[in-house]
Amino acid sequence: MLSRQRLFWTAHPYDLLRSEEKFLQACRDNAAYHIKHCPGYAAVCAHFGFSPDQLRTPEDLARLPVLPTLFFKRKALFSMPQWRMAMKVTSSGTSGKYSRIGFDWGCILAEAPMVVALGFRHHLVSPKPAHCVILGYRPHRSNHTGVTRTMFGLTHFSPPLSRTYALELVDGAYVPDLDRIAAALQKLEASPFPTRIIGFPSYLWFGLGRMEELGLRVKLPRGSRIILAGGWKQHAAQEVDKATLYALAEKVLGIPEGNVNELFGAVEHPIFYNACERHHFHIPVYGRVIIRDPESLEPLPMGRVGLVNLISPLMTATPTLSVMTDDLGYLTPGEACGCGIQSPYLTILGRVGMADIQTCAAGAAELLGKGEAF
Amino acid sequence: MIFANGTLLPDSERAAVIQGLAAGINAARMAPPLRVETVIAAVDALGKRLAAGEFDSLLTQFLPTGITLEELLPLLSRETLEAKLTAELGPDPFGARAFPKTTARLLPLGTLFHVAPGNMPGLPVYTVLEGLLTGNINLLKLPREDKGLSLAALNILVEQEPQLAPYLYAFDLPSSDQESMAALAALADGVVTWGGEEAIRAMRSMTPAGCKLIEWGHRLSFAYVAGFEEKAAELAALADHIVETGQRLCSSCQVVFLDTQDRQQAEAFCRDLLPYLERAAARRPGPGAGAQATLSGHTALLERIVEGRVQGEVLFRGRGCSVLLRPDQELELSPLEGNVLVKCLPRSKLLPTLRRQRGRLQTAGLLCAPRDREELTALLARAGVTRITRAGSLSAAFPGEGHDGEYPLRRYLRVVDVET
Repeated sequence: MLSRQRLFWTAHPYDLLRSEEKFLQACRDNAAYHIKHCPGYAAVCAHFGFSPDQLRTPEDLARLPVLPTLFFKRKALFSMPQWRMAMKVTSSGTSGKYSRIGFDWGCILAEAPMVVALGFRHHLVSPKPAHCVILGYRPHRSNHTGVTRTMFGLTHFSPPLSRTYALELVDGAYVPDLDRIAAALQKLEASPFPTRIIGFPSYLWFGLGRMEELGLRVKLPRGSRIILAGGWKQHAAQEVDKATLYALAEKVLGIPEGNVNELFGAVEHPIFYNACERHHFHIPVYGRVIIRDPESLEPLPMGRVGLVNLISPLMTATPTLSVMTDDLGYLTPGEACGCGIQSPYLTILGRVGMADIQTCAAGAAELLGKGEAF
Repeated sequence: MIFANGTLLPDSERAAVIQGLAAGINAARMAPPLRVETVIAAVDALGKRLAAGEFDSLLTQFLPTGITLEELLPLLSRETLEAKLTAELGPDPFGARAFPKTTARLLPLGTLFHVAPGNMPGLPVYTVLEGLLTGNINLLKLPREDKGLSLAALNILVEQEPQLAPYLYAFDLPSSDQESMAALAALADGVVTWGGEEAIRAMRSMTPAGCKLIEWGHRLSFAYVAGFEEKAAELAALADHIVETGQRLCSSCQVVFLDTQDRQQAEAFCRDLLPYLERAAARRPGPGAGAQATLSGHTALLERIVEGRVQGEVLFRGRGCSVLLRPDQELELSPLEGNVLVKCLPRSKLLPTLRRQRGRLQTAGLLCAPRDREELTALLARAGVTRITRAGSLSAAFPGEGHDGEYPLRRYLRVVDVET
């Protein structure tokens, strides 16, 4: 699928206008591929009367059948035999069930230039070796979550000297140990090489809080960075505003706000969204975002709050061309940011709350993707 | 954490506590029995202290969202507890009953092992309370989701009445810890399991043969429409019930069955119901609830498309809700969140169809003309339904009602006959 590679091997990751034709062509090809190879997806397209030739203008992207991430939790759909896939990845399944998503080799070939282009653009790439402290899971062959792989991958933007994990596998279960991390950070303070802290924002928040409590302060070497990936997970109720988090990071770790990178992505939509210097997630050329009316699913104009529909022709192993998360969010015109990037930016307001649902109707827990809680 | 005999202990003590449990249980059973009055007085006093605001800081920490103190307090009053005892066990439940050659008495089963679910906060405490009211020693397996509410509640209960200490044990253990689960089940005279079919099957395999198994499984409920007394009011009440419960409760309406074979009549009914659902959905606070309904309904539609099950159905889509007319007659789970199923099920086919779901049936909300009510009520009861209500009150709590067709307290007791 050359049209996909043409889209992803671009030198202008935020020039949406210039990429328009390439994006549409890649989407047409991607939809045609899934219709041909995935009977389930073909049935969905037939039901909604969709065919790839309907994609003529950017507005036509709204015609693509939208598959909620909840759907991938209930049904595993694949468009190629498993032996042809590069890997199979699962969402982190905070609440029991998870999506199973296949990655093809072409997808990985296309992701590489995307990650490199955006890595340079957002100052993630550095030739100077660094020690990595990962506020996430140590990789293990039993762990197929996308976020674990992503965090491991993120240690490679500079040559990694060491890796320390907050969540270690002990007797088959992951156990967090923030005190060990605090001790490791104290040691790294004296290193001639910078430190990169990579992890869940919630763990950073708890870790910083713990260090404050213990009266620990460090001044990590110049060039140290914090890279935040993966949402707030179960700790959403304790979500803090970004300004408070960054101020605390500067106070406790000595890392200035400018050295904090924030990332966003989903297993079903593994596009490398990076926050700009003003902490906004501008949409890069590899994806498009449509905000939809929470009650009718009709596309909404810029600025209105609705369900977040993410579109990218990246994957051919699983039909994730147009997916919808259970987040509410809105778009803002790029110019309103002032960072210089012209493409619109996405603000996520949070989950609609499917995960909190309590039920005793027979079979409902399974239906909600919660698994059996007992 | 572990709660044992009035003290909170770390999980590392689990093996030691379980090992010493048999001796502790035997000692408690050899001591004078727990009087029901002791339990009632303790719970009632605790309720009064709650109402006085003594535990407000604990409540803000543990009280689950969606539950208010006003809803909780009546459940803890002496009047409610006594009314429950009388309703389920009759007046003077623990008195001797004389027969020509014997006297009969109700005694506790002995030790109950409660496997509590995570889907209803407060339920672990409630199931233990039922065990205490019947004088049983209670071993509680806390659900994974319990973040301390149950332990805190048991702790203050024992503080209030130290005599309860030997009757209360709680363990924060994963159900994958088969060894501990089996050890606790082996100590019990009755295993009380709450939860879905998977959880219940797991406990069945773990329960020793001589041990009584008491299952409170998940259920399905529905509405049966054979006519109306006051159509607009009844449809509005039914729609409110569907949207307000999100169809997540055992007693929530999943399917509206119509007493007809006529498709056109059924379609007309769907068109009638939809605006009432929309009106109820519009009252939901915030965009989140509407989004849940849409996501849930859309996902269910995609699933039916992929499974090739959309043929013959008609979808009436509303804002934040939907009505789906399905061609089959089966009682099944709806897509939830205000997305209700409608099916034709003439009364002549009602019993054989519902029998296929035996063990899962719970409430039927019956809408019909007054002259039909008696006949249809009897038919629904014979089909296996355990609650029959009016249009809007499927999930209402009625004083004195049973639980899934049973009086729980009876199941936690045994009859001892003594020849005189």
